Amino acid sequence: MAALNTILYLVVFPGILFLFVYSTFVEWFDRKVFARLQNRMGPTHTGKSGLLQPIADFVKLMAKEDIVPDKADKKMFSALPVVGLAIVITAGLLLPVWNIDLASPGPISFPGDLIVILYLLSLPTLVLFLAGWSSTNAFSIIGGTRVLTMLFGYEVPLFLAVLSPAVLAGSWRMAEIAAFYRAHPLLLLVNLIGFVVALISVQAKLERTPFDIPHAETEIVGGTFTEYSGKKLAFFRLMADIEMVVAAGLLATVFMGGFGGGILSAFVQFIAKTLLVVFLLTVLRAVTGRIRVDQVVSFAWKWLAPLAVLQLLIVILIKGFVL
Amino acid sequence: MNDEQKIEKLKTFAPPEAIAHPAPRRIFVTVEPSGLVALTARMKAELDTWFLSTISGVDKGEFFELLYHYGDTSGSVHVRTKIPRSDPRLPSICGVIPGAVLYEREIQEMFGITVENIPDPRPLLTSDDWPAGNFPLRKDWKFDRPAEVIPGGKK
Amino acid sequence: MKFNIPIGPQHPALKEPISIRLSVEGEVIRDADLRLGYNHRGVEKLAEEKSYIQNIYLCERICGICSHSHSTCFVQGAEKLLEIEPPRRGVYIRYLVSELERVHSHLLWLGVAGHEAGFDTFFMYTWRDREIVMDLLEMISGNRVHYAINTLGGVRRDIDGPLKQKIFDGLAVLRERSEYYLKIGSSEPTFVARLAGVGRLTKQQAMDLCATGPTAKASGVALDVRKDDPHDFYDEVEFDVVTSDLCDVLGRTVVRIKEVLESYKICEQILRKLPDGPIAVKSPRRAKPGEVVSRYEAPRGENIHYIIANGTEKPERLKVRAPTLGNYAATIEMLRHGFIADVPLIFAAIDPCICCAERSVEMVDARSGEERTYRFSDLRRMANERARTLPLQRNVAWPL
Repeated sequence: MAALNTILYLVVFPGILFLFVYSTFVEWFDRKVFARLQNRMGPTHTGKSGLLQPIADFVKLMAKEDIVPDKADKKMFSALPVVGLAIVITAGLLLPVWNIDLASPGPISFPGDLIVILYLLSLPTLVLFLAGWSSTNAFSIIGGTRVLTMLFGYEVPLFLAVLSPAVLAGSWRMAEIAAFYRAHPLLLLVNLIGFVVALISVQAKLERTPFDIPHAETEIVGGTFTEYSGKKLAFFRLMADIEMVVAAGLLATVFMGGFGGGILSAFVQFIAKTLLVVFLLTVLRAVTGRIRVDQVVSFAWKWLAPLAVLQLLIVILIKGFVL
Repeated sequence: MNDEQKIEKLKTFAPPEAIAHPAPRRIFVTVEPSGLVALTARMKAELDTWFLSTISGVDKGEFFELLYHYGDTSGSVHVRTKIPRSDPRLPSICGVIPGAVLYEREIQEMFGITVENIPDPRPLLTSDDWPAGNFPLRKDWKFDRPAEVIPGGKK
Repeated sequence: MKFNIPIGPQHPALKEPISIRLSVEGEVIRDADLRLGYNHRGVEKLAEEKSYIQNIYLCERICGICSHSHSTCFVQGAEKLLEIEPPRRGVYIRYLVSELERVHSHLLWLGVAGHEAGFDTFFMYTWRDREIVMDLLEMISGNRVHYAINTLGGVRRDIDGPLKQKIFDGLAVLRERSEYYLKIGSSEPTFVARLAGVGRLTKQQAMDLCATGPTAKASGVALDVRKDDPHDFYDEVEFDVVTSDLCDVLGRTVVRIKEVLESYKICEQILRKLPDGPIAVKSPRRAKPGEVVSRYEAPRGENIHYIIANGTEKPERLKVRAPTLGNYAATIEMLRHGFIADVPLIFAAIDPCICCAERSVEMVDARSGEERTYRFSDLRRMANERARTLPLQRNVAWPL
């Protein structure tokens, strides 16, 4: 039974199948909201209200010709999309998607899984950098260096912002953090600054406007993805979608009290809370223009990092004097 | 500055018979190519004609007629110069008006006029493998299409 | 590390082919060069083989955005050569279309600037509102892009009462929207962060490099053909020449939005003062030998046509200088020492119209990679030959 559970966990929920279907739904939601905010219709044709459009796009890309540039490092060039996809799916498995029995957590929840998921979410950035670098295209290389430059900006604020709720809860384990905040919901308000910082950092990590600098099409064509086509591009796009789901799930776990109750109740909460985070990210995307890479780094260190430190200070003070 | 004032000022450094005033706000000055740069500098200093709209060239058979169009806040002044077809050389005015370089490059490739002392002599519009000696805006220019070559195909 | 980055001839930021060659160090541009000629069509040579009336339509096709500016500029000059005086009503309608075209061109530019800055929402909003002015132009002239409203001696279509009211209504909506864009364009933090201080061109540089249009106006150079050389219309309406001292892309954005507001003012004055009478007079076919210089303030800057008549029904020479060509020298200066991220913005900020700037037909043979020059007659002959030699298809189903 335990083996079956593990297999179901890996393959169905919240494993590959669920992540695939839900990430395409999230992409549709993102596109639709973005379009409505711009007075457009968004996807309408494939499926009801265009729900199947992201899947259709994925299938179309899978069927397209797959070209590897002559001068590229062929093995690395081909392996990176799969590696990237595997990394984000692994990260997805770590999300505490239901009320895990804290006494016997099983293999997926352990002390310190918060650090592991943050680490796993950093890896796709490195994959994108290597993808840009191994393409040996001038545009890709510039895109790759931009990916790394941005990493130095947003990564530290993100870590600080996500760790402060953990400090308040006194645990490095996501299931425990979520349980702590479900027990003390008012304490969620303490972390508001951290939530905003984390939201903006996640936007940067997902490379969405105003931080879509590494693949800014009007400047450097496709950036890191310039030379990618066909299946490999499809995997990268799926990777980005799943990364968005995982990042939204992480924020929902840490800042919104996670997903309590039975499996069904937890499922509904997961959908509602991640969609709320995605909605905020989409609004942020719609109301801003793209900024420059030097502006990202200076913005991250002048605003995000100090705010994250302030959040940490507030948390420590509250923990020391109030609780 | 109205037209009369401009003509008065022009008369101080150009002969009166070289100045024409065919329409309101249009003044034409004729000058020898050798005196072009000096006149341009003088006009820029005294008439404030720093804005060169363009340089137009016409093939008139025996000679090319070039017209430098200057715009200002009260109309326009046009400097006319003629150079013989047998010896098409023209001094560059880029030293006085740096923005003239694009127009001089265009004149060079379209009429086959050599602009002396031009800072950037490359062709402006024609392709990299443009055959030498073809100047499209000369009236006698005709183009014969070369035979088509299909690489790897039938000869 | 030094890279050479080619922007174009094909690039997502470019709507028309031009090649910008950049040499960059990291993200900073060290040197820039422009290569033109990908869109050179030989309009000047072709115009020598066409009659005056045909040339109106040829000039209209020099540009796809400011089509009216070239045809008006040509007609202004040709009317002087043919010694005809268009009736006032015709002139008023002609410049009404001019100002509406300026509105549509500037709104289009605003959208493109938003897109180049990665601000797609702004792009969608401005282009939605641009539809209003496009519809007005279609109601007036019957066409959305090539209005074909000019003719020698006046215009081809009249405006009636209900249409006048529709234009007033449309202008009211547009004015409100434009004021909103002025607010967004100068206050949205990410947008302003991208535009401010980018592509600096000082007043002295603008004067030296003969910049024109909004590029020069944003550097504080108040040069506007409508004021300086009002032809026979612009001294009858009141408007201000908009300038800005910001000397950067933000300045150019502000200048364009304010210029649009001035255009609404001009349009309303035209509609209020619209005189009665005929809209066109008959024009002779031949012009006496002579020459004329015609200047016109196109949305992108000064447009100048120089026409020589030789007593026949065709001009001896037509020289066209579109505003974009005048701004290239300034563009190279602006690109230097900027960031790669700013290239599309700086380039877009002159509102480049490459097909305007390059006017003889040059084509690349895709199979041999050779560049060839074809004349229009050759193309027509080739097309006819192709039509003649195509195998005859029978029983072809009508696609609808």
